[in-house]
Amino acid sequence: MLRAFRFIVDLFTQRHGVVAFAFFLVLGILMHEASTEVRQSVVDKALSTVFYPVQLLISSVNDFKSLQAENDHLKAENARLRQETYHASEGLQELARLHTLVRFDDKWDFPIVTSRVVGHNPGRFLTTLVINRGTHHGVKENMPVMSMNGLVGKISKAMLTHSRVQLLVDPNLKLSVLERRTRVVGFLESVDGHLLSAMIPSHAGVAEGDTLITSGLGGIFPKGIPVGTVHKVRKADLDVMSLMDVKPFQEFSTLEEVFVMQKDPDWIIQELLDE
Amino acid sequence: MSNGGWLKTLLLFVLVFALQSTAGEWLQILGVGPDFVVIFVVSVALRFGAATGCLWGFLAGFSQDVYAPVEWLGANSIAMTIVGFAVGQLEEHFLTLYVPAKIGVLALAFFVNDMFYFLITGLEKDVVTNLFFTKTVPECLYTLIIGGILFYLSSGKKSDV
Repeated sequence: MLRAFRFIVDLFTQRHGVVAFAFFLVLGILMHEASTEVRQSVVDKALSTVFYPVQLLISSVNDFKSLQAENDHLKAENARLRQETYHASEGLQELARLHTLVRFDDKWDFPIVTSRVVGHNPGRFLTTLVINRGTHHGVKENMPVMSMNGLVGKISKAMLTHSRVQLLVDPNLKLSVLERRTRVVGFLESVDGHLLSAMIPSHAGVAEGDTLITSGLGGIFPKGIPVGTVHKVRKADLDVMSLMDVKPFQEFSTLEEVFVMQKDPDWIIQELLDE
Repeated sequence: MSNGGWLKTLLLFVLVFALQSTAGEWLQILGVGPDFVVIFVVSVALRFGAATGCLWGFLAGFSQDVYAPVEWLGANSIAMTIVGFAVGQLEEHFLTLYVPAKIGVLALAFFVNDMFYFLITGLEKDVVTNLFFTKTVPECLYTLIIGGILFYLSSGKKSDV
């Protein structure tokens, strides 16, 4: 056994590490070229067996549990109240326009699960978080995740005791948004995993400083969750559309707690997701 | 590398992992923060050579890939492996590098890492250009300052011994 180990070490250190380089390079390429299922499986296994326990341990160093429970409860209540206040003003606007809507608040009647952020990318491109709540706590895939300031993302993978949160800056997450003043709908995405940009029809006259909220059209996020403000308006490839840099209400790298809204996707979206 | 060396490097890796997740955020200025992981890979590769640099580069890259979009799995691992191998050619066992030279190596490693990362993820040219000026350049400068301080402190420690 020891001989075999020594043989491998000797082999890897030969020729200034060329063998080791070739080995790890091929391993990296194989991972990159593997099918989505294989890649997902590699990530899930590595996260559950190695990274989650280590990051949980690291994040628990300053965890005072007696205060945590009370704190969590208060923060959840605070988050709900803030969202409801925001939503109430949205409801008033809509009520004034449409007169017929009277039970608008029903769509916010979802339980909230408070969770702690226990891990994220130890690098510079932050697109995913790991939280300490999973299917055991009622968290499911595609549930919206928010903070006290606004939308954070959605659950991309729920495991028994922990879940992965896909942040708004993940290039695979596209979101339908509504500009609050002009009521025009557009979509939000990040092409580089760093900055958020929105594509909104030019005729609407959306300007810097305007607020974007979820439109509720995608079927995953309910209408009215604050997303961010328009930071800069640029011309898109198509004249009819404007491309806007969006500054999210929530700075993702400083997140410590998030709230998972226990809302399942609308049935039509659920069917598409199942397919 | 001895058994003790492996263990020490593993502990250092966990420490860097923790540092990047905590201090990396506290030290951010206008969204720009240092990259302790690149400093770690460069330091290990300079100290122990290309083979060890490749191994820890791969592990450090993989630890970042796990939290990246699944479509990009392997991008950080490959980029960091290349950095570990390239920097490992300047192993301190054979060469003596002073702090300014190490900072230069760190700068090159940072750019090489980002360029390969952008190349592998297949981002569009204008997106890469934008990321290069808004993220790579400022974060590289910040990392060089932090790396320079760490290299200076570690060189002082060595000369004391």
